[in-house]
Amino acid sequence: MSGEAFNPNPIVFATTKSSRSLPPGVRLNSLWLDDGDHREEESDDSNEAEAIDQDEIFELIRSISDPEHRNMSLEQLAVVSAPQITFDQRNPDRLTVEFTPTVPHCGMSTFIGLSIRVRLLRSLPHRYKVDIRVKPGSHQSEHALNKQLNDKERVAAALENPALLEVLEQCLSTVGQIADAAAL
Amino acid sequence: MTENESPADIQLVAQLEGHDDRAWHVAWNPKRPILASCSADKTVRMYHYHSTSSTEGEGESKPVFSHSTTIPTGHAKTVRSIAWSPSGKTLATASFDSNIGIWAQEDEDDAEDLTGGNGEWECMSLLEGHETECKTVAYSAGGNLLASCSRDKTVWVWEVHPDYDFECMGVLMEHSQDVKCVAWHPTEEVLASASYDDTIKLYLDDPSEDWYCFATLAGHQSTVWSLAFSPDGRFLASGSDDFTVRIWERVQEHQWECVEVLEGHERSIYSVSWGKGKATSEGSLGWLASTGGDGLILVRELSITTPGESGGKSTLSDKVIARLPSAHDVADVNSVVWCPRDGYEDVFATAGDDGLVKVWKVHTN
Repeated sequence: MSGEAFNPNPIVFATTKSSRSLPPGVRLNSLWLDDGDHREEESDDSNEAEAIDQDEIFELIRSISDPEHRNMSLEQLAVVSAPQITFDQRNPDRLTVEFTPTVPHCGMSTFIGLSIRVRLLRSLPHRYKVDIRVKPGSHQSEHALNKQLNDKERVAAALENPALLEVLEQCLSTVGQIADAAAL
Repeated sequence: MTENESPADIQLVAQLEGHDDRAWHVAWNPKRPILASCSADKTVRMYHYHSTSSTEGEGESKPVFSHSTTIPTGHAKTVRSIAWSPSGKTLATASFDSNIGIWAQEDEDDAEDLTGGNGEWECMSLLEGHETECKTVAYSAGGNLLASCSRDKTVWVWEVHPDYDFECMGVLMEHSQDVKCVAWHPTEEVLASASYDDTIKLYLDDPSEDWYCFATLAGHQSTVWSLAFSPDGRFLASGSDDFTVRIWERVQEHQWECVEVLEGHERSIYSVSWGKGKATSEGSLGWLASTGGDGLILVRELSITTPGESGGKSTLSDKVIARLPSAHDVADVNSVVWCPRDGYEDVFATAGDDGLVKVWKVHTN
């Protein structure tokens, strides 16, 4: 890979606490505990089923290391976020993961997309079909990027490339770690 | 039309395990009762089959399959595609390691044995030249030509000489992206290629001994994964990442036009295969099978309702005669191939991401 840095000074974002690790009744962005407000909790349960699925996927990918800045995660660089994970209404086993490269000319985007795909391939049950896309308007080669990230054959061949696989494994070695230990 | 109204149903004949990784492709030996499969596990597996008659005396035979041999191949990466020569004596393997292997049974007796591929298969030749992954390899109908294609955007045409000597006759660099598939016309030395650049190209051998592209078929909205000529050679089917199958007609000797766009799949179509089938109507063009990322197998009967007049397009009718969802459970189905041998026109095999090879039979009601 070339020594050129695409984004030497990335903006680093604060990580969110995992929603499931919050004490019951405490909501994000809320200063007060909700005590006794059962109606709100019920409606949240139905949302939570969906939110948990979205969050589960996010939990899997948030700690993938950025290939260019290995000590930072995709979450910290706002490359991935929970709201960018969507499910097909007609088929809950089909989902789309959208990611946002840090700069429009980011040459690491293919690699990042691939790392997301591999992480999900290895951790989700086989019934899931995942589409990976860049956030519309966020990259100058949007169509070309999306096309190759979703070409099964190209992905399979890339993973048989030992040099690529080695870097990929390094970026995936940080997964499963929660960025903010206080969230536990 | 509800599922129950399909004129035929698809029944499982055999489920063949053994590959340790996804199975990409299957190929039926045209002369001998052997089915071969290839996989990301870098091996080729061969299965011998024989017919048995049904005890009910319906006259319907159901073939029985057994594993006969596994070729470790020695390819450094995935074996993506395999092809038998028309004589049934040679097998070509196309690998992601960019090479093509040519295999035959060293023992003359084994080669003459019309039953299974039990003997040792040896690598008789290694065709190098592609710069990146090889995707498909295919023999011409006459058996004297071999075509290959690759992510390096090229299509190679090789001439088959005695003693497994292969001479490169042309390196065709017409596509702007990976070439996924190559397919030969059933009777003429006309070659078709399908590409990641969303087009199909057709090639001929010029009298001055040069291969060249005489037509480009555009229309698909995304990668074209697979091609299949109709048994009579007048039509070409293509399966694409845009979820459709297109049918192209040879309206003039060197001119092909799209006459049909078939929908019905919900994800990329990885494979199409066109066999004679067991025709249920006059003017039938045979049975077209398609499959892909949605795990669904569709079998359609295509017929000409109005023939095209001098250079014009025909009107076709298509009927889904059988459909089988989740053929490999939740796994993608990568390949569907009709058996080319007489008496097996209603039999086809599939290869899936689950590493399984399955054999199916279409039962018309």
